[in-house]
Amino acid sequence: MQELEAPAKNPELKELVVEASRALARLDAPRLEELALSCEALNQDLDSMDEGEKSDLARQAREAAPGMAVLGRVLAVTRANQNVMRRLREMRERRLEYSERQIRGAPDAGLEAEAVDGDD
Amino acid sequence: MGTINSALSMMTRALDADQEALNVVANNVANANTTGYTEEKPDWQENTPISVGGVLIGDGVTETGATSERDRVLEARLDQQQQMASASSTRLSALNNMQALFTPDSGSSSASAGDIGSDITSFFDSFSSLESAPTDNALREQVLSSASTLAGDISSAASSLNGQSAAIDQEASGMVSQVNSLTGAIAQLNLAIESASPNADAGTLEDQRQQDLSQLSQLVGINQVTTENNGLSVTTTSGQLLVSQGQNFQLTTGTVNGVTDFFLGGTDITSQLASGGGQLGGYLTARDVDIPGALSSLDQLAYSISTTVNAQNNAGTDLNGVTGTPTNPLYIFNEPAQAAGSAAAMSVIMTDPSQVAAAGAGNGTGDNSNAVAMAGLANGLIVNGQTPINYYSNFVSTLGSTVLEVQTENTAQNASVTQLQTQNNALSSVNLNDEAAAMSTLEKSYQAASQVFTLLNTIMASALNLGEETAVA
Repeated sequence: MQELEAPAKNPELKELVVEASRALARLDAPRLEELALSCEALNQDLDSMDEGEKSDLARQAREAAPGMAVLGRVLAVTRANQNVMRRLREMRERRLEYSERQIRGAPDAGLEAEAVDGDD
Repeated sequence: MGTINSALSMMTRALDADQEALNVVANNVANANTTGYTEEKPDWQENTPISVGGVLIGDGVTETGATSERDRVLEARLDQQQQMASASSTRLSALNNMQALFTPDSGSSSASAGDIGSDITSFFDSFSSLESAPTDNALREQVLSSASTLAGDISSAASSLNGQSAAIDQEASGMVSQVNSLTGAIAQLNLAIESASPNADAGTLEDQRQQDLSQLSQLVGINQVTTENNGLSVTTTSGQLLVSQGQNFQLTTGTVNGVTDFFLGGTDITSQLASGGGQLGGYLTARDVDIPGALSSLDQLAYSISTTVNAQNNAGTDLNGVTGTPTNPLYIFNEPAQAAGSAAAMSVIMTDPSQVAAAGAGNGTGDNSNAVAMAGLANGLIVNGQTPINYYSNFVSTLGSTVLEVQTENTAQNASVTQLQTQNNALSSVNLNDEAAAMSTLEKSYQAASQVFTLLNTIMASALNLGEETAVA
């Protein structure tokens, strides 16, 4: 007789939240898009849940709350990093348009010494 | 019907991550490039462009020699995030040690600071037991025994906190020589780089300086300001100069009120360093904010219990018919003069159980009214407007919240360091097109993560509402 396959472990909300933080730290965009799809599907399932499933989801939500705080903070630092990278990009593009000599003579020549943007 | 489980199972990869794993990943990536080598590439200096009808047209490039691809804005941001991650990591370590001190050890039978909550309950319960047989010597001994356990555990906790503070103080002061050594090296490299630039490539020297800056920013919070000819000034985050051109300014230490303070040019900058970041910032925050805060709470607890219980015992009559007086008080605990230091000094001074004043004054020795009053102190608002057990529970709960908060910050900062390392690596080794792709990945990741966050937030809010409705039903 064929052996029954062990049921796959169903991840809980808190695992999903931690996975999202980890993927964002690694800038794993495909993984994050995959997680977004999962969340969309879960969101659509909410209305059709029975009492037991609702109760279980509420428990999972409570357990996932600390992880959401982490994800929120990782999002905030990512936004700050994004601002820094955008500014870098602008600076580097400007270097293509102007010669080194002109950059030195320009009023904003001290760009490299500017304070770094950040949320923290 | 689709269920939560089926929906979550759409994720095909293993979800074995936990908070610890996230930290490990972040730290690993952050430390991956310890050599600090930046790839050298030919530098194509652009010639002056020509303006035609308001449009700039370049007229070619000239090869000027190899320089290192680096961008100080990104490196400065990376250093900034690393110093914040270092600070929170160091502080978190100290906070975890503190929290461990107040965590009950279920496997241990010996008394410890983690048992203070149950000690408080046992102490006041011993008076409840005495109510039924106020002349029973064994029950009187039990009062003194539970008092001794409570005092011992509070005193032991204070002693451990003081020990942690002393150890941190030693670690912090030991970092000064490392800071001075690094600022000295950066000053020397500044001179070498400035003499090489702009006529020759100072790439290797700049890599060395960047390595030193990264190390320095892990130790102490710094700001960097680029000067002429690729020179660099370094200040603390609050603006005190550490390096200017070829000169460094030495950090020194001195003992102030029993702890090590840090000076720069004769000015005490300890508090600025505490809030500035780096390991030193983390150590000083733990030493000057977290540990004193915990000690202060314990002092208040010890002070309030000791003085209130002493006053109540002094108001009753003991088994010998004696009522306490100002000159011959019937004190169970040593009477503290002030809250500060009460926890470390808390002890039981009563040795004779017959001196426990179970009877009310003038009621005879067999009365129990004062034992009833003593037991009632457990529910009295005697510690800063709270019952002793609530005050202690709130203290432990606040400590736990602080640990969680710092843990959250630390995880986010490590994630930020990981992201910046990834971007920095891309910047050091790829062309502008690949760099644009790296930027695009960052933006895509952010957008997708924002979507995940928003959806999760909606799901969790709905789930909690659903849960409440279920509970009410």
